Amino acid sequence: MLRPELNELLTQTGPGMPMGELFRQYWIPALLAEELPEDDCAPVRVKILSERLIAFRDSQGRYGLIDEFCAHRGASLWFGRNEEGGLRCAYHGWKYDVTGQCVEVPSEPENSNFCANVKLTAYPLIKVGDILWTHMGDPASRPEPPEFEFVHVPSEQTYTSKRWQECNWLQALEGGIDSSHVTWLHSGALRSDPLFKGAKGNQYNIGDLKPFFEVAEADGGLFVGARRNAEDGKYYWRITPWIMPSFTMVPPRGDHPVHGHFWVPIDDENCWVYTFDYHPVRALTAAERQAMEDGFGVHSENIPGTYRPVRNKDNDYLMDREAQRQGKHFSGVEGIAIQDSSLQESMGPIVDRTKERLVPADSGIIKARQKLRKAALALRDHGVTPPGVDPAHHRVRSAAIVLPREDSFLESCRDAVTATPGVPQTTV
Amino acid sequence: MQNRPILLNSCARAATAAEARFRIDAPITPSRGARVVALDRRAESIVRRVAEQRWSSARFFVCESPGSSNGDMADVALLSTDGSASRLSTELIGADVAVMVATADDGAEAACAIGDACTLRGIMTAGVVISDGFGAEATVSALRPHARVLMVTRDEHDVAEVLSALRA
Ligand code: FES
Ligand SMILES: [Fe+2]
Repeated sequence: MLRPELNELLTQTGPGMPMGELFRQYWIPALLAEELPEDDCAPVRVKILSERLIAFRDSQGRYGLIDEFCAHRGASLWFGRNEEGGLRCAYHGWKYDVTGQCVEVPSEPENSNFCANVKLTAYPLIKVGDILWTHMGDPASRPEPPEFEFVHVPSEQTYTSKRWQECNWLQALEGGIDSSHVTWLHSGALRSDPLFKGAKGNQYNIGDLKPFFEVAEADGGLFVGARRNAEDGKYYWRITPWIMPSFTMVPPRGDHPVHGHFWVPIDDENCWVYTFDYHPVRALTAAERQAMEDGFGVHSENIPGTYRPVRNKDNDYLMDREAQRQGKHFSGVEGIAIQDSSLQESMGPIVDRTKERLVPADSGIIKARQKLRKAALALRDHGVTPPGVDPAHHRVRSAAIVLPREDSFLESCRDAVTATPGVPQTTV
Repeated sequence: MQNRPILLNSCARAATAAEARFRIDAPITPSRGARVVALDRRAESIVRRVAEQRWSSARFFVCESPGSSNGDMADVALLSTDGSASRLSTELIGADVAVMVATADDGAEAACAIGDACTLRGIMTAGVVISDGFGAEATVSALRPHARVLMVTRDEHDVAEVLSALRA
């Protein structure tokens, strides 16, 4: 349960809000690199942290992320022409470069200096891996670029997709921290999904429906361990890292690629879910990549030409009661990603946390909310840099491991939960 | 695509802010009967501080003689933070969660007794281990078998945090 003012604090990420300022300390995904595939390609509307922006790639391949609306009379630059090193408004021809600087106002005399005083708000946009990242905070405290492993392995080892989710970012993120839902909601997928099935660990998941949980602090956020009984009195541990503000990884299964998410607020009632899959030491197979593109694993099948899932709230996520009855899909909704989004969206655009009945198994969520709140307030009141800003905090991994009973998951797994180039993931 | 609902409020599209005001606003059963037990001396002072806040039904205790093994740990003697003495078996009546708070491993026996008693009665167990990073390992292993959920933290406020999340 949260008091109403705390729920507001954690869920509102617009400019000037404490949680909005927190998000503005980090490099966050703004769009996929595939959305700006070539120089002078079509500009893309981007709304994040409740700011409407336009992203484009100019004639020299430079990326820009600027205010969506022309300084002249406020027309959307989405209609603009991306040409000769800048984006020209389709209305009266004002032109802007990637820094938001106006470089031409056609109505002014040839030798006028008028445009020098016209500049749109602009944020940096950098390509790291398959993602274009932005930092929307004070340039003076701009951290080094992100070091998450999934954007640093060779491109043939990694795949990222994204989808629009119609609810607040926090309830979506909480789904990534709450590993107790996996045994229920995603039980069908453990047996059938091409990117999940066949792992030995799945048997432990299916065989022990009442895991024990352990929540421990990490430099950048948390590690949440779920332990289940394995053979010979050993424990099967699944370890989920959360790096602030909204990066999580799912513990691996067998030699399948490892996956995770990055949740980015669009506004307070919508978010982008960036979903990645990578293998630390080998290329993805053609079959794996195809399965990801087809929306298996944690990816989604999207409406062609958009990032909106085919199964969405306008069509009740194509709920299939027969599949639910037969246990093919526990909830009757197909696909792990949509199993999550359907329930998270059903909670309402911003879930009313004053009404919830949490149980001890929700400790990961309880602790994550507390860390977010503390970091947001420490930043607001004392200018303290939050955990997860330092790129060193990004070098984590999820892990799945069988350990003797007396072993601590963190002590025994320190290497396993550290991303080390060239070293395979720790998995069962 | 057959049998798609036709009324807005009969389909998932009703998950809007506007529709949220039609949600039933029944009062929520206030409390989980939480019993909070300090397993060692430092934990005791933390639990005493937490006990001073307002709670709906949580009760707070210290193990009367934490760590001492008089051969009868089966029914731990508890001392409530308000000073009254009682027994674990009595206090577990009506409880639905026991929260053990530890800063060191000398509460291992008490944790075991509490864990067993709760398992027997179908009561949830949780543990909060407060440590500044060093020596938490032994404490965590002492509690691990007996707490279904374990939080290892540097921050003693997490005890209150967990309890308020549980509406204790
Ligand atoms: S069982 Fe968790 S929301 Fe219903
Ligand atoms: Fe999920």
